[in-house]
Amino acid sequence: MSQLQRILYVEDEPDIRAVAKLALEMVGGFTVKICESGEIALREGADFEPDLILLDVMMPGIDGPTTLKGLREMPALAQVPAVFMTAKVRPAEVAHYKSLGALDVLPKPFDPMTLASQVRAIWDLHSA
Amino acid sequence: MPDPRAALAAVAEEIARLRSDYLAGLPGQLKELTSLAAGLTGEKTDAQALDRLHRGLHKLAGSGGTFGMKALSDQARLLEQTAKNWVADGSAPADAAKRTAFAADIRALPTVPDDVATPPATEPVYPLPKVSARAIRVWLVDDDVSLGQELAQLMGQFGYEVRLFTRVADVEAASTVDRPDVLILDVMFSDEGINATEAMLVRPLLRALSCPLLFISADGNFGSRVRAARAGAAGFLLKPVDVPRLVERIERIFDDRQAAPYRVMIVDDDVVLAEHYRLVLTGAGIEVEVLNQPGLVIERAAAFRPELMLMDMHMPDYAGPELATVIRQHEEWLSMPIVYLSSETDLDRQIEALGRGADDFLSKPISDARLTATVRVRVSRSRQLADLVAKDSLTGLLKHSRIKEEIATELARSRRNGKPMSVVMVDIDHFKRVNDTYGHAPGDRVIKAVAHLLKQRLRKTDGIGRYGGEEFAIALPECDATMARGIMEDICRRFAALRFVHAGSEFSCTLSAGIATSNAGDDEGGTALLAFADKALYLAKNGGRNRVCVSGDEK
Repeated sequence: MSQLQRILYVEDEPDIRAVAKLALEMVGGFTVKICESGEIALREGADFEPDLILLDVMMPGIDGPTTLKGLREMPALAQVPAVFMTAKVRPAEVAHYKSLGALDVLPKPFDPMTLASQVRAIWDLHSA
Repeated sequence: MPDPRAALAAVAEEIARLRSDYLAGLPGQLKELTSLAAGLTGEKTDAQALDRLHRGLHKLAGSGGTFGMKALSDQARLLEQTAKNWVADGSAPADAAKRTAFAADIRALPTVPDDVATPPATEPVYPLPKVSARAIRVWLVDDDVSLGQELAQLMGQFGYEVRLFTRVADVEAASTVDRPDVLILDVMFSDEGINATEAMLVRPLLRALSCPLLFISADGNFGSRVRAARAGAAGFLLKPVDVPRLVERIERIFDDRQAAPYRVMIVDDDVVLAEHYRLVLTGAGIEVEVLNQPGLVIERAAAFRPELMLMDMHMPDYAGPELATVIRQHEEWLSMPIVYLSSETDLDRQIEALGRGADDFLSKPISDARLTATVRVRVSRSRQLADLVAKDSLTGLLKHSRIKEEIATELARSRRNGKPMSVVMVDIDHFKRVNDTYGHAPGDRVIKAVAHLLKQRLRKTDGIGRYGGEEFAIALPECDATMARGIMEDICRRFAALRFVHAGSEFSCTLSAGIATSNAGDDEGGTALLAFADKALYLAKNGGRNRVCVSGDEK
């Protein structure tokens, strides 16, 4: 498995977008592309060639699970690992999101100082 | 390479800036949500406002903590849950007081960060779960008043909201204005001359309640049981009622209802027929994707993640069994049920087809009911299997290794935010005696009852695991020793009040608990904290059991 460098992040909420970009780029040193909606991710996501996809679950328009499903239909993104982010982390829901093909679920709210290391930990576990 | 400390300082500064932007926008957001809430009427026209409220509160729950406002996140999450329940109900409650309280709660959401906010002294420090999720409302109908009251009181220990009736006629009267989440009916009502299993079949008002139904009866004769089954009962329990078993039955009903919809992929080249199946299954609340080009099955399955595949046996380019074999070559699809749909009537060929990768065979034409039932049964069973792998099979709690991880994670978090966390070890007193006296099945029920009680009394954010046979470990984030002691003493009291029934005799059990709380200064790991909690547990055992000790109590 290659190094984790490029992260595609789909999030509708401007405040969270800004702080997550900061957390992933400045703290984590990743290259991040942010999409404001599932629609944009479906249009532009494949060209970015991400190593990992981070998706908010509840978004107006196309929600996270539907976005992931659409991205999975693109040959370039069919195998790229994905992680959901959501404010709801009941174990049953985590199991549900994992059954949709996500590696893991990151709880919201997240701590900006540790988000990058959480993402990296999931990646390492996945590649191990 | 830039100086890492300078880089972190730059990040912190940038975060502070984003945070102040967030704080500046907050009052406006709350104002908008408050006015939405104030406009709720309790009518169907609420739907749009409720949807916006649900989304808005969800957003706050997910973002607050990131900007140092954990209290906002926590409180918004509770309100989000309420909004979500109302969305599901189709409108806000007719009771205006509830709506007003909801709007007031939104208006009262904190707009200043936790570290500068003054904690309100009168608020309960530890929100109990009944606040976070609407309590399950039970209507209990029994003509024996004292028995009913006792049962209601015991079920209350599990967080249910129980309304007691002594007459079937009273239930019918109440059903015109309200309805429960679960109806529990005694079978014999001698005063009214009613047998409830019969009444359920013939009385329209009772039928119209259309909620899960359980019967309790002193007599388990076959006729009553069959009538109960006909009335669609989810259970039939004999008196004296074993409350933990009753609770387990109710929990199972609601677990099923909250589960995500089943996902089924239909592979059929007959577009019209596939569309018909899709409509039937969708009508039954199942998510369906139709695939008319079998060659794409692996790609499309990877995207849709079906939990079951319905496949035509004979398609122009590929035979069903060939396709099934290809699917089974992929490890991740080894356990997915594959069901053939075909007009093939030759039994030998059906059997041969089953030998190659499929699990069942349905003959066309198939009734809608049979199709739905087959799909439901297969998917639900495969979900149960998946659950078995992930969780402790008896209790549904985290397994030993997972709870230790959870404690380590929470401890790390508590170091970062400077708030204490507590670790609790819980053990059932004299459990060996229960097993020796009553056997292993009642012993298992005692263990399950502890698990249910812990799940119901603790917060969603608390980690609960089965540590060993009759031993449990709990992580309580942001909870100091005093709070933890209060919570655990409450749980011990509730548990001691439970009665278990075995072979006509009753018994009860008690719990001992040991608590260790992290201090900001020390750098002990999760294992050390567990060891301290274990020592405190030992202290509780030596002190006579049925009690809670905190590490340090011995000094």
